[in-house]
Amino acid sequence: MDLFLQYLANGVVVGSSYVLVAVGLTLIFGILHVVNFAHGEFYMLGGYAGITASTAFGLPLPASLAVVAAVSCLLGLGAEALLHRGLKNQDQTSSIIASFGLAVALQNAVMVTMGPQPELMHTELAYKAIELGPVFLPAPRALIPPAMLIIVGALFAALRWTWTGRSLRAMAQHETVARLCGVKVRRVAVITFMLGATLAGVAGFMMSAVYMVHPLVGNMIVLKAFIVVIIGGMGSPLGAAAAGLLLGVIESMTSAYLTNGLRDVVGFLLVIAVLLFRPQGLFGRSLERS
Amino acid sequence: MLKLENVVAGYGRTRILHGLSLEVPRGGLVALLGGNGTGKSTCLKAIAGLVTPQDGTVALDGRVINDVAAEDRTAMGLSLVPQGKEIFGGMSVAENLMMGAYHRRRDKAGVAADLEGVYTRFPRLKERRRVLAGMLSGGERQMLSIGRALMSRPTMLLLDEPSAALAPRVVEEIAEAILSLRDLGLTLLLVEQNVGMALEVADYLYVIRGGRIAFERAVDDGVGMDELRDFYLSGAH
Repeated sequence: MDLFLQYLANGVVVGSSYVLVAVGLTLIFGILHVVNFAHGEFYMLGGYAGITASTAFGLPLPASLAVVAAVSCLLGLGAEALLHRGLKNQDQTSSIIASFGLAVALQNAVMVTMGPQPELMHTELAYKAIELGPVFLPAPRALIPPAMLIIVGALFAALRWTWTGRSLRAMAQHETVARLCGVKVRRVAVITFMLGATLAGVAGFMMSAVYMVHPLVGNMIVLKAFIVVIIGGMGSPLGAAAAGLLLGVIESMTSAYLTNGLRDVVGFLLVIAVLLFRPQGLFGRSLERS
Repeated sequence: MLKLENVVAGYGRTRILHGLSLEVPRGGLVALLGGNGTGKSTCLKAIAGLVTPQDGTVALDGRVINDVAAEDRTAMGLSLVPQGKEIFGGMSVAENLMMGAYHRRRDKAGVAADLEGVYTRFPRLKERRRVLAGMLSGGERQMLSIGRALMSRPTMLLLDEPSAALAPRVVEEIAEAILSLRDLGLTLLLVEQNVGMALEVADYLYVIRGGRIAFERAVDDGVGMDELRDFYLSGAH
């Protein structure tokens, strides 16, 4: 039982990073209909930006976080210009393929500048730990779930109660009527990409103190995020949040009770099952009456 | 108020409007009638800015607005009421209405007051303000669409087939709502297939056929159902 709780906690930590990455991915898809395969690179670059700021420049963690957010916003701005504005009037496959291209370009750019060796963020926090009954978590891990809750909670509150949030949801539901209400597509697109990139970047930053970061780390992350988005229901941020935690816990349990080799496989099996039996996702539902 | 002159418009290489001209005077309630595929919707889209004319001009209060984006026309007082199915189905009734006031979102007190105004006009919407708009009936959706447009404080409303797919009793309700909008001093362009409803409310009629105005007449000049029916049936296809 004690070990079970420890595995659960480990799963929640990793799942929290999935939530941050997947919520942004599902927002970009739901609002702009862009399938962004370069989303893992937002995570990877968040990790590198954080490591560079905190380790190379010795900035404190809050300042490093600000650097990560700034880098992510710039990245989101560029990605929007390329994948959305640049290709808006073309077939959707164009932006999918372009996002693959962007992913490869970013991976190689980092490979050239930072080198291929994996890096870990070193912080004082690593020497502290939190014990909750039988559960033991080093501080850098323990901080991730509460940070995720705060960030995602703030995001959902903003989507629900601010004009900008309402305009994003309106655009997701009916672009033409949103435009007739005076919502500017470009503004929504830039905000959405910046949000998505920042959520992923912050996840990459926090996880860089837990797992090594390397130029290709985004490959697996983006696939995990797609698993989460499909399980949660395409375009549903709340579904992505729930499914992200679920995937983290399932992976942790698989690794603990079955075999570690199945850890990265179980999510894909789950996706196949969801697509076969409940293609709208576990948390997706149909709202229209007619 | 609104003037279209020789508007040519379409999608890609397909031309739908072939030099359409019409005029809506300030305070007027003008109906644009036509069957399916005659160019009614394209005409409305050209006025709302969702389609850019390839030739001709769309002018509002004497100013040519061909190049004004759809997003900016609401702030000029021009508001399109799309068909009832065109709503934010996953947002509450209140949120749908609020979105109508998006371009003047900084005016908190004004938005709140206008929301109350819409609730007074359509008490059904007040009762259902927390319900997701996707759960509303056809008539309620139409009221919601009109209410949302009113939230933008328009001077001119474009109504896209408000009677489409509604029961006759509900059509009557919507017709009354439209007449009350005119009494507010709004200028209205009503695009309809429902000739009866258009004759009941409008003071001037245009009939569109093949992307051009084929017939126009003031309603009090004795345009009867019969005359229009004959016109519709004579070689409309």
